[in-house]
Order: sequence, then structure tokens, then C-alpha cells
Amino acid sequence: MSGASTSVVEMATDSVLDITNLDLHYGSSHVLHQVNLSVSHKPLSILGRNGMGKTSLCQAIMGLHRHSAGNIRFCGREIGAMPPEQRAQAGLAYVPQGRRVFRSLTVDEHLQIVERSGAAWNRERVYDTFPRLAERRRNLGDRLSGGEQQMLAISRALLLNPRLILLDEPTEGLAPTIVDDVVTLITNIVEEGIAVVLVEQNMHAALQAVDEVAIMVGGQVVDVLPSEQLASDSELQNHYLGLDLVNN
Amino acid sequence: MRLFLIVTLNGLTLAALYFLAASGFSLIFGLMRTVNMAHGALLLLGGYVGYDVVELTGSWMLGIACGGLAAALAGAAVQAGILGWMQGDELRQTLASIAISIVLADLMLWYWGGITYQVSLPDILSGGQKLPLLGVGYANIRLALMAFAVVVGVMLWFLIQRTRFGAVIRAGVDDQDMLRALGFPIGRIFIAVFALGSALAGMAGVIAASALSISPGTDLQFLLSSLVVVIVGGMGSIGGAALGALLVGLAEQYGLAYAPTYGVVFTFGIMVLILAVRPQGLMGRSEQ
Amino acid sequence: MKAGFLALPLIALPFVLNDFWLTQIATRALILGITALSLSFLATYLGVVSFAQITLAGIAGYTIAYFGPNTVGVGIKLPFWVSIPAALLFSVTAGALIGYIARRSRGIYAIMITLAIGVAFFYFTRQNYAVFNGWTGFSGITAPVVAGTSLRDPSTLYFLSLATAAIAVVLVSLFARAPLGLAIQAVRDAPSRVMALGIPVTTPVVAAFAFSGLIAGGGGILNVWYQERISSFSVGLGPIIDVLIIAVIGGLRHPLGAFLGAIVFVLLDTFAVDLIDRDRFNTLIGMVLLIIVMVAPNGLQQLAADAVAKLRAKEHQSGKSARIKTNT
Repeated sequence: MSGASTSVVEMATDSVLDITNLDLHYGSSHVLHQVNLSVSHKPLSILGRNGMGKTSLCQAIMGLHRHSAGNIRFCGREIGAMPPEQRAQAGLAYVPQGRRVFRSLTVDEHLQIVERSGAAWNRERVYDTFPRLAERRRNLGDRLSGGEQQMLAISRALLLNPRLILLDEPTEGLAPTIVDDVVTLITNIVEEGIAVVLVEQNMHAALQAVDEVAIMVGGQVVDVLPSEQLASDSELQNHYLGLDLVNN
Repeated sequence: MRLFLIVTLNGLTLAALYFLAASGFSLIFGLMRTVNMAHGALLLLGGYVGYDVVELTGSWMLGIACGGLAAALAGAAVQAGILGWMQGDELRQTLASIAISIVLADLMLWYWGGITYQVSLPDILSGGQKLPLLGVGYANIRLALMAFAVVVGVMLWFLIQRTRFGAVIRAGVDDQDMLRALGFPIGRIFIAVFALGSALAGMAGVIAASALSISPGTDLQFLLSSLVVVIVGGMGSIGGAALGALLVGLAEQYGLAYAPTYGVVFTFGIMVLILAVRPQGLMGRSEQ
Repeated sequence: MKAGFLALPLIALPFVLNDFWLTQIATRALILGITALSLSFLATYLGVVSFAQITLAGIAGYTIAYFGPNTVGVGIKLPFWVSIPAALLFSVTAGALIGYIARRSRGIYAIMITLAIGVAFFYFTRQNYAVFNGWTGFSGITAPVVAGTSLRDPSTLYFLSLATAAIAVVLVSLFARAPLGLAIQAVRDAPSRVMALGIPVTTPVVAAFAFSGLIAGGGGILNVWYQERISSFSVGLGPIIDVLIIAVIGGLRHPLGAFLGAIVFVLLDTFAVDLIDRDRFNTLIGMVLLIIVMVAPNGLQQLAADAVAKLRAKEHQSGKSARIKTNT
């Protein structure tokens, strides 16, 4: 498993992202309740069924939806009061649910606006890594297939040369072979020393890519456990993610 | 035939002015969803400042530049100081910009008075030109105005379609939140685009003061024409602004020439027709 | 009870105020308030800010002028019991037509379209001489005389305006509770959902605009009697913005705010000369509008309601703590 390969020793214990007692409201509905989560350089996946608050948590971390209480610390700095653009500049990159590529920008323009000179990730490296994107460099964002859009959304995030990448359901709606590509890609990102938070509904894909799993139920993180433990315990899978929950 | 040609040229002249005014209005709306009701006031401000600068220095080009600059600064101040704080609340922004427009118009009336101003033209632009092929004479300044509108249109197209800044603007039009999540300070981009749109208005004001004349009321005339042009052409599209300006400018002049009493009904008729068939305007994207 | 508390002083006003205060302030505020009510009705229940309400009021006013006694020699003289229903019929029809044109437009699009319609009407009245008598319009319009009293008589016109305002307010609240009114509010909250249910959006929107035409028409008729003239300037951008300012100052979330806004506007308009240079009234009213939009976007009505709620909460709180104290 990929867990063995992520022995980026010196940073392993540093926590990159610390979320404490986070509350979030949409109007009058209380979406996140006292969420606590700590992310280190070990790749982490947030699993949970639909409507458990995973995307809301991503938006709160990114600052796209302002939380109502609690703290978000990133690399030792409190970022809870920052607008999204400052969080991105601080080293947080976001690959949102549904990809959200810009429909009136070409592939090349997507990369061009984010690219910074002299950084580890640049346009050439993206095109080397994803030859498919190089072929499609003159195509507009909404003319790409789902898999291509996902590659583009991840490349766009990588060009920020972030310290942490937050991926919200990157395998959603993709063909199984493409899902495998995404999993491999995430493993590679982890090997570069970039912290990864992978929000997923697809448990099997997530378990291949990460070491640790946080379970969200009803707007709360109810458990954090090693991926191996969840992978081997089908009762636990059922309990947190299974269909029987629907009947509760 | 002669009358038709002259009327067509007049229509194109008016269309050129309407395009200059409406393109900035449409640019601002396209990115920020802000209907800037103070756009006409900024245009008039540019016109007045341009007039003063031309009187003072004798340089027409400098007048255009200063008119555009004055409007750009005022527009940036409006966005940074007032409208930016209500981003996302479109109705509130509209109302606030109406208030700003009322105050600005009144203060300009106070400073420049109720008189009509016409910018004196440099020698090359005064006088007329016998047009080849068409065989009719036409004022140089009006021909220059049409050329200017084409140049501005091409430059805007280049800026938006071919530069990095343009790509950022398009990305902002598509998905503001995503652009912010990529580290772009949207507030500053908004101010820059507001200044750019206002600069276009300010330059249009100086040109209106050169080709025609300006006085209190010019602000509303151009605000309204901008509104109709973008309703017809489609909000937020520069191409739409050009098409809308052409339709409205020509309709107004043909109406004036061939049915003098009801010139305005033509314009209005076009608008209603387009609303009935394509509510988002000829080149507008439909709203989700 | 509550209505009685409000009605008594309003009915007593003509016996307390002199003619200046009664006519220039109270009656004028009521008439402006009625027209602004037609705007805040649409804003509250349909969620659309219409700039065409002065147009609707103007259509009613022009009808009265055309079919009534005037000194410009344009029009046909008809008895008032014909011209008044005709005026309301025209303003309602025009309202329905505007509603139909703007039926698919929401938010800022609705603002732009109604504004364009309003201004087109203004230019139309300037260019048309057969019906609207161009930009000079009509003057020397006299209000009808009923039972020996002119309706323009200060206290008569005041009572007439007060009664019209009261009827308009009652009609608005009845309309809001009627099935059609509920359909309109559904369109405001979720137009796509209403369409998904198979209910056509057009009917409620057209009905709301037609109804607003009725109220605006009432205001327009009173206004033409009050002013004794009407011209293109009465339907120009100035009055259009004035009525908008009144509705915004009062608050767009509650129809009654219109009258609150009208009083503030009329007082400012009348006494601004004592505060600042008369010529700078627009700067003053523009600043007032800007401040309201910035600090109290829901207008004075909301501010007042909040203040009352706060007071009540405080009373409640102190009542509670008093009770707790007696318990211990």
C-alpha cells in the first residue's frame, strides 16, 4: 500500500492543518457541529455518506463559506479570518467537487493564470505529466471530458505549489480506469511531500490512496482511524458508511 | 439615396458613441453582476474634465486621456469605497449606484453649471471629408469617432481574449469563488475592472463632447442608451454591446429621419421584440 | 384596535393643521405614498423593483387630463364618473402589459427593463401631441365638483387621499392572502419550482403588475387633481427616482414603509431649504438614499420594527428577571 512509501520522515509529525471546534451554519440550519480534525503529512481521507457535511467542511477550510465558530490553523497560522485568496496564497490548494474548470478559458489559460515563474510545478511539467492536457491545450474548459477536467483541476491546484491539497470527490463520475489514474496521481502528490486531504464517497479509491481516514456523520467527525483498520473491518464500514444507516 | 447614406452614417456615429459608453457598462456587469447606474455620471465627469484639459492645454489627445483617467479614478473610488462592500447584493448595489449618480450629477451641476460644453477640435479633426465611392461629405470628427470605436473594440477584444489579465477576468465571470480559491484577490480585480469600465465611459464623454456636446442630462441619456444597448445585445458581452449599439444607433437615426415623431418607439420596439424572443439579449448567456 | 389608534389622529389632522401643512405635507405625502405603495407592493410580494410605476400613475393622470376640463384644448370632455374608471382601466391594462413584457425578468434585469419602459414613455409623451400634447402637456385641470364641493378643496382632497391610501393598503393585504397573491409570493421565492409544478409564471406576474397599476393609477388621479397639471416632466426620470427613493427609504420589505418614506421625503423636500442651499436638494436626497442603502438596506420601516422588537424583548427580559428575583 501507499502508506509505506510516504516515509517523508522529518515532517511526519508536524501537523499541517488543525481544525478545532468548527461550527458552520447555512442560514438557520446548523451544518457542522464542533468539528475537530488534525492533518499531518500523512495523507488523510474524509469519508462519509452524502449530506454529512464533507463539502461544507471543504468550503469552510477554503474560506468560501465562513464558519460561525471555531479555529482553523494552517502551518501554525490561524487562517479562519482570511479570505479564500489569502488562504490559497498561504499554501492551501482546492480541487472542488464538480471540478469547476472555467468554461471560457482554454486549458493553457487555466495553467497560465496560476503559473508562477521559478516554482517546482510549471506548465511544462504539467504537460509532461499529463500529455493528454498538452494535446488539448487550445480547448476550452467545457469542451473537455470529465477525466480531462479532473486532470486540469488537479494541475491548476499543483501550479500553486501548495503545502496542502484539498480534493473534494475527485473520482466522482469518472470511469474506473480513470479513477485508478487519479489514485496513482494522488499517491505521487503525497510522495512530493504535499499534504493531501481527500474527501470521498468512493471508499475503495480513498483507501488505496491514503493512510488515515476520518469519518463524518451528521456534520461531525466521529472517528479517525488508520485506513488498514477500516479496510479490513466490514462491520465498521457498514456502521459508518453502509446502507443500514439510512434506516436509522 | 443621399439622405439614406447620411442617415446611415449618422446612425453609425451614434452607434460608435453608444458602443464606447455601453462596453464599459457591460464589462463591469459581466464580471461583477453590478448594474452601475452611475455609469452615465462617470461619462459626463470624463467629458467635463476632458473639456477643461483641452481648454487649458490645447491638446485633444491629452483631453481624452485625462477624461478617461478622471472617470477611472472616480469609478475605482466608488467600487472600493461603496459598491465593493455590498458585493453579491445586486439590488443594493443598484440602489447605491443610483444614489451616487444623483449626488455626482448634482455636484457636477454645481461646479460646471447648466451650460452646454463643446470641446474645440484639433485642426485635422475639424472640417469634413468627401467620402470616396459614397460621394457624400461627412465631418472628420465623426469619422474619427467611428474609427476610435473600432480601435477600442479591437483593443478590448485583445485584452479580454488574448492577455493573462483578460483570462483572469473571464475566469472571474465564469466562477468567482474558484478564482479566489486559486489565490486571486477578487476585490482588487473588481476595482481594476471598474476603473477600466469607467475609463471607457470617461473617454466616451470627451468624445461625445467633441462630436456632439455635453450638458446636464447627457449622463442620463447615455446611461439609458447603455441600458437599452446591453438589454438588446446581451449583458456582459462586448460583442453584444457592439451589435446592440449598431441596432439601437441605426434604429434611432432611421426613426428620426423617416418617422420623426416616433423615433424612440423604434428603439423601444426592438427592445421589446428581443425580450420576447431572447430575454438574455442577442449575444448574452442565459442565466442559470 | 391598532388601526383605530392610527386612524383617529389621521382623521383629526385637517382640524389641527393649517392649509400649508395639510396640503403641502400631509396630502402630498399620502399621494406619493400611494404611488410608492404600488412599487413596494411589487418589491415585497413579487420581489421585483419596478421603475415603471410613475408611468402607470402618469397614464391614469393623462387620462383624467385628456377627458377632463383643461386649458390646452386637447382632448374630449367626459363626466368624471366615466373618466375615473377609464383612467384606472388604462393604468391596469398598462400594468398588465408591462408585467407581460417583464414576465421572465427578475432582479436587476427587471429594473433595467422597467426603467427603459418608463423612460420610453417619457420620450413618447414629449413627441406625441395628439394625445399627450408634447412636452408642455396639460394645465388648468380642475378636479370634479361633487355636491357643491370641489375635490381639490384642501380637507376634501386630504380625506380623499387618506381614504384611497386606506383602501389601497387593505387591498394589498387582501391580495397578498388571496390564492393569486400566494402564487405571486411563490414565484418570488422559487420561480423555477413554480414552473416545475406546472403553474404558469406569466399569470401571477401579469396579475401583480396589473394590480400595482390599479394602485398607481389611484395615486396618479389624485396627483393630477392635486397638481392641476401634467406633462412629460411628471413621468420623467425625476419623479421615477423620487418614488423609488421613497420606497427604499421606507423599506422594500413591507408595503406600509411607502408612507413612512413619503413623509420623510416630503419633509426633506420642503424644509431642505432651511438646511442647505435649495439648489443642492439632490445632493441631500442622494446622500440620504446612500446612507439608508448602506446602513439600513431594509429601510426605516425595518429600523422602526427592529427598535420596537428590541424594546419588547427588553421588557420581556426585565419582566423575566423580575420574576426570577421574586422567586429567589
